[in-house]
Amino acid sequence: MTEARPAGESTRNLRRDKHVVALLGNPNTGKSTLFTALTGTRQKIANYPGVTVEAKVGHMQFENTELTVIDLPGTYSLAARSPDERVATEALLGRLDETPKPDGVILVVDASSLDRNLYLATQVLEFGLPSVIALTMVDVAKTRGISIDLEKLSRAIGCPVVAVNAPAGEGLQELKATLHKRLHHPATPLSLEFPPEFVSAVDALHLKLADLGVTLGYTPTRPEALRLIVDAAGPLFEEAREAGGNAFEEAFTKLRTQACGGKSAALIEAQARYGRIAAWTRESRTQTKIEGRTLTDRVDSILTHRLFGTLVFILVMGVIFQSIYTWASPLMDLIESGTKWVGDLVGSNMADGPLKGLIVDGVIGGAGGVLVFLPQILILFLFIAILEDLGYMSRAAFLMDRLMSRFGLTGRSFIPLLSSFACAIPGIMGARVIEDRNTRLTTIFLAPFMSCSARLPVYTVMIAAFVPKMGWLPIWLPSPFSTDPGGNTYLISLQGLTLFAMYWVGVLAAIPTAIVLKKGILKSKITPFLLELPSYKMPRPKAIALTLFEKGGAFIKRAGTIILAVSVIVWALSYFPHSEEISAKWEKEREEANQRYDTIKDMHRMVSNFDKHLAEFNLIDSRYETALAEAATTGDAEAAKARAEATKIAAYEAMRKEVGPLLFEAAANVAAAEKERDQRLAEINNEEAGEHLRNSFMGRMGRTIEPAVKPLGWDWRIAMAAIASFPAREVVIGTLGTIFNLSDADETSEPLRETLQKAKREGSDEKLFSLATGLSVMVFFALCCQCAATLAVMRRETNSWRWPLASFLYMTTLAYFGALVTYQVAHALGG
Amino acid sequence: MTPTVLSTLGVGRKARVLDVGGDAQLQQRLLEFGILPGVEVRLVRVAPLGDPIEIEVLGYNLSLRKNEAAHVHIEALP
Repeated sequence: MTEARPAGESTRNLRRDKHVVALLGNPNTGKSTLFTALTGTRQKIANYPGVTVEAKVGHMQFENTELTVIDLPGTYSLAARSPDERVATEALLGRLDETPKPDGVILVVDASSLDRNLYLATQVLEFGLPSVIALTMVDVAKTRGISIDLEKLSRAIGCPVVAVNAPAGEGLQELKATLHKRLHHPATPLSLEFPPEFVSAVDALHLKLADLGVTLGYTPTRPEALRLIVDAAGPLFEEAREAGGNAFEEAFTKLRTQACGGKSAALIEAQARYGRIAAWTRESRTQTKIEGRTLTDRVDSILTHRLFGTLVFILVMGVIFQSIYTWASPLMDLIESGTKWVGDLVGSNMADGPLKGLIVDGVIGGAGGVLVFLPQILILFLFIAILEDLGYMSRAAFLMDRLMSRFGLTGRSFIPLLSSFACAIPGIMGARVIEDRNTRLTTIFLAPFMSCSARLPVYTVMIAAFVPKMGWLPIWLPSPFSTDPGGNTYLISLQGLTLFAMYWVGVLAAIPTAIVLKKGILKSKITPFLLELPSYKMPRPKAIALTLFEKGGAFIKRAGTIILAVSVIVWALSYFPHSEEISAKWEKEREEANQRYDTIKDMHRMVSNFDKHLAEFNLIDSRYETALAEAATTGDAEAAKARAEATKIAAYEAMRKEVGPLLFEAAANVAAAEKERDQRLAEINNEEAGEHLRNSFMGRMGRTIEPAVKPLGWDWRIAMAAIASFPAREVVIGTLGTIFNLSDADETSEPLRETLQKAKREGSDEKLFSLATGLSVMVFFALCCQCAATLAVMRRETNSWRWPLASFLYMTTLAYFGALVTYQVAHALGG
Repeated sequence: MTPTVLSTLGVGRKARVLDVGGDAQLQQRLLEFGILPGVEVRLVRVAPLGDPIEIEVLGYNLSLRKNEAAHVHIEALP
C-alpha cells in the first residue's frame, strides 16, 4: 500500500527525501503483517551470507519522502547469541553490507505482553535512532482486560506510540505521519539507571574502544560498549580483541569485573530494563480482572491435554500427511502430463538428434522433475503457515520436546522432520526455527532419512511386483474402496506391512545417527528450550498466500538450477556415445517391417475401393476393443465381454455377406499385417533405445560396478538405474522402463511390473528379481540420499559443502550395506 | 512459603521468583524473558510426557524444560 502521489506532484518538482527505516520486534507480534501492509507485496529478500538469516526489504512513500523499510528477523533481545539476534543488531547499526544503514526504527510491540516486548525497545532506544513504537494486538490485550493509555505511555517512554491493526489497515496513516515527523528531529538516546560502577566501567570501555577506532576504521558508540560489557561476545568483540590484542582483553576483563561488582551482568541489565519498564507502564496501563479463563487457555486445556491433545496432534499430522498424498497427486499428474505434452510438442517440431534429446529429455524432463514436487511443497507450507499463524506450531514443539530430547534434539526439530516425509527440502528449510546450531545441523542431516514421497513410486512398483498378495483378516469393501476388485482386501496385508516397514527403515536408521551425532561431533551444551506460547490467532489468508508464493519461488529458483544441470549431465551420460551403427541397424529393421506390410497390401491394390473395405474392417475391430475396455469396468464383466464378442462376429458376418468372402479375407489379412507391423515397430523402438543405453557411458558404468552390486542381488541394469537416479530418485521408474526395453513406463502400468517379474539375468534362465532383490532395491532407495535438490538446499542452509557431502557419503554407504544385509538375509531365508 | 525451585511447583500454583541461576546463557535467557527476582509466576500446565512445563509470567505464556526451571529459585505463594 504505497501512498498515492498528490495531484500535480510531478510538475512541482519537489526535493525528494530518502530514508531507511528498520522494522524490529519480538517474534509473533504481527511484524511481518505490518511490513506487508506498509510496503505492499513487492519485496526483495536480503540474504546475509554465513548465516541463514533473511531480511525483507520493501519501499513506501509518504508525501515527498521515499522510505526503504528493512524487516529484520524477529528477536527478543539484541544480545548477540543466535544468528537472528546478531543480524538484527548488526543490521540496526548498519554494519552489514547487504542492507543500508537505517536512520529510523519502527519498534513493533505486542500490547498483550507489553513488558517483555518493551525489553527489546529499551535496548534499541539506547542507540538514539529516531523511533516510533507500533503497538499491535490491542484487541487481544482488551480481551484480557488490559487497556493502554497511548498518550501517557508515549510521554513516559519519550517516544511516540501508535496503535496499529495491520490486517484491518488501521493506524497505518498515523504511523507513517508520526514516523515522517520523527525522522526530521534528532532523538535523544534513552538512559537507564545502572549502578554507578557499571556506568563508569561502560564509559571507560567506550574510551578504550574509541582509541581502537583508528584500527577498526570506525568509532564504536557508547551503547555498543554497554552491550559488550553485558554480552562479552559478538562481532565487535572479536574485532576489538583482534585490534587491541592482549592489552585490550586484560583491560576488558578488569572493567567487566569492576562493572558487575560480584553480580552477574545479565542480572544488572535485566533489572535496570524491567525496572524502567515497570515505571513506564505504572501510569499508562490498567488491568481489570477478567472473570473466567481466556479463550487461548481454554483451547490449550484441550490441545495440550494428555489424551485429547495427543489425539488432536495425531489427527492433525494424519490430515497433513493424507493431503500431501491425495491433494497433490492430481496436480502432480497435471504437471507430469503437461511436461510430457510440452516435450512431445517440442520433440515433434525438431529433427532427431542429440539436440532434440537434450532439449526434450534433459531440459524439459529435468525441469518437469523439479516442478512435479511443487504441489507437495506448497501444500505442506500451506499447512505449516496456517498452523504457525494459529499458534499451534509452538504447541506441537511443547508436546514433542520430551520425546525428541531423548535423541538429543528439541521439540522444534519435530515439525521439520515430519515435513521431510513429504519432501526433505521444506523440512531442511523449516529447520531454521532451531536456534542451536548443532541441533539444527543434526536435524538437517536427519531430514533425508525420512521416506519422502519421491520414494513412494519405487516402493509401489517393487511391492506390487514381488511381495505376495496375502494377508490377515479379510474384509469385503464396496468396489470404489477396494484396491483389488477381484479378490479379497485384507485389514492387514503383507504388501501394506512392507510399505509401512519401508517408512520405518529410515526412522530406525535416523535414531542411532542422531544419538551418535549429538554425542560426538555435534555435541552442544544443552541450549535453553525457552519457547513462547503465543495466544491463538485467526490465520491471515493474505499473509499465507504471500508466504506460499515466496517459498514456492525460492524452491524453484534454488533447486531448479542445480537439478536441471544434473539432469542434463545424466541425460548426456546415458545418450552418448550415440552409435550411428546401432541406429542404422535398427533403421534397416524398421524398413524391413514396413516393406513386409507393403508387400501384403500391394497384392490387393488392384481391387477397387479396397481401402474403404479395410477401413470398415478396422472399424469393427476398434469398436470391439472399445467394448472390451468398457466391459472390464462393468459389474458383470464376463457377460459384457461375451456380448462384445457376439457383436463383433455378427458384424464380420454382415460384412462378409456384403463384400463377398474373398474380399473379406483379404481385408482381414491386411488388417492383421498392419497390426503386426505396428507391434514390430514398437518393439524395434524399444530395443533400439535399450541397445543405445547399454552402449552409453552410463550403461558402461553400470557394467563396471556390476561386481560390487552382485552381493545385493543386482545386475548392471539395476545398478545403472540406481546411478541414474542419484540426481533425483523419482527418475528410477522411467530409467528401469528404458533399461528393460519399454518406451513409456509408468509406475501404475502393468507392463513394467510384468517386465520386471519376467526379467532374466543376462545369459541365463534365472529370474533377475526375486523377493530378496526387490527388498534390497527398496531398502537401498529408503536409505540413499538420491536427490540433488536436497543436497543443494542443504548446502545453502549450512553454507558449506561439508554437510551435503557428508550426508551423501554416509547415506550411500548405509544404503549399500543395508541392501546387502537385506538381500543376504532374505535370500538365505529362501526369498 | 519455604524457598524451593520452579520445577517443583504444582499445577495452578503461584510463586514469586527469588533468584535466577544456571549457566550464563540460560540465566540471560530467563532474565530477558522476564523471569527475574520479584516477579510473580504461575504454573499453567505440564506437557503430556511430563516435560516441559508451561508458566505464565508478565502476562504471557512461556514453556521451559524442568531442568531449566530447576535453576529458578522461588517462594510459593498461597
